[in-house]
Amino acid sequence: MMTNIIIETKDVTLYRNDSKIFERISIDIEKTKLLNIYGRNGSGKTSLLKILTGVTEPTSGIVLNRSDDESLYEKIIYVGHKSGLKNNLTVNENLYYFIKPEEQNKTTKIDTALEIYQMMNYKNTLVKNLSHGQQKKVSLMKTIIADAKLWILDEPYSALDAESIKIFDMTIEKYIKQEGSVVVTNHKKIIENSWSKNYQLN
Amino acid sequence: MKDLLQIINKEFLLVARSGYGVFMPVSYLLIIMILFNISISFVDKKITQELIPLMIWISCLLICILNLETIFKEDYEDGSLEMFLINKKNIESTIIAKIFTHWVSSNFPVVIIAPMIALLLGLDSHTAMILFISLLIGTPSLTLIGSIAAALTISLRSNKILLSLMVLPLYIPILIYGTNAVNNSYFGISYQGEITMMILLFILFLLITPFTCAKALLVALD
Repeated sequence: MMTNIIIETKDVTLYRNDSKIFERISIDIEKTKLLNIYGRNGSGKTSLLKILTGVTEPTSGIVLNRSDDESLYEKIIYVGHKSGLKNNLTVNENLYYFIKPEEQNKTTKIDTALEIYQMMNYKNTLVKNLSHGQQKKVSLMKTIIADAKLWILDEPYSALDAESIKIFDMTIEKYIKQEGSVVVTNHKKIIENSWSKNYQLN
Repeated sequence: MKDLLQIINKEFLLVARSGYGVFMPVSYLLIIMILFNISISFVDKKITQELIPLMIWISCLLICILNLETIFKEDYEDGSLEMFLINKKNIESTIIAKIFTHWVSSNFPVVIIAPMIALLLGLDSHTAMILFISLLIGTPSLTLIGSIAAALTISLRSNKILLSLMVLPLYIPILIYGTNAVNNSYFGISYQGEITMMILLFILFLLITPFTCAKALLVALD
């Protein structure tokens, strides 16, 4: 049977030092869908993302790769709270080393991402000389330049200005239309439509 | 292979930009050797010469510990560690690339300079050559062992002392084989056994380190 689910979690529970973070979470990450996981601080959003990426093992429950691609985890782009950027490398170098060596048109991809986020002037600037918001934008550019099947983004809207949020939302929409899937965490609910849905974490 | 080369290239660029030059470990070695020589200046010259390989080996061992914690620390702090642990395909090759870059930038200059210092202090050229070989085989093992400890202690804020306490006892076999090889060469005894054991230990650590480090890093991030 054809299914749109790419990752399925069944009754996932996580305990830390005997205290419950969350219990019996069952969510599906679907192809060409945006899943917005929202909740208050400390509700376990980041921990849930780490379970989805396979970095953290849940205390109980299972996480299944339901896609037809066994190497799905190699095609996930994760952008966490930390930028994942090297301070002593320029924006261009950070993005260049992020792209796999066998991929063609590296420079074009980087230039396109810089243009989308209106950061062309900072191409050769060291990351340590950028503001927090600019660093966030560079880390989000990784989603554009990588050939990924799934974006997992931990609070991507934090530190972004209104214009950058708009640009980011547009890149998500475009990616979803190109058969991509996105999971984001957020403090608030988003407006649901045919390709996006919310999941509240209490 | 291309992935590995790209990671190594990036790591060397980072080392070059970090300001931690090759002169740092070499200067450290020179300072230790000067201090050693001052402290044993009253000892007979013949005995001093016998002690030179030991002094150099201990100095190299201490230099290996110097900045071990930096192997994965920056990646842990800037969040890139999470990204390469998710991309399971490249974990081991990334770890090996990082260890290799660390060894080349921190230990290899010492491996080159140490036999030259030994020659200056009056050691014969054959023994200096064995010293070079023993360091060339031994110091990568020290870095491999150290990287496991660095991965295990990565989430601790000040892990330097704990790291040293963890690795120093594990360095003992390599220190024994290394110094024995050089001493045997000095006294004209066979040293092949010690060198073979060091090669075997290097292969063993080369095989287990990437997987052990990967597991330790995953535990640290959990």
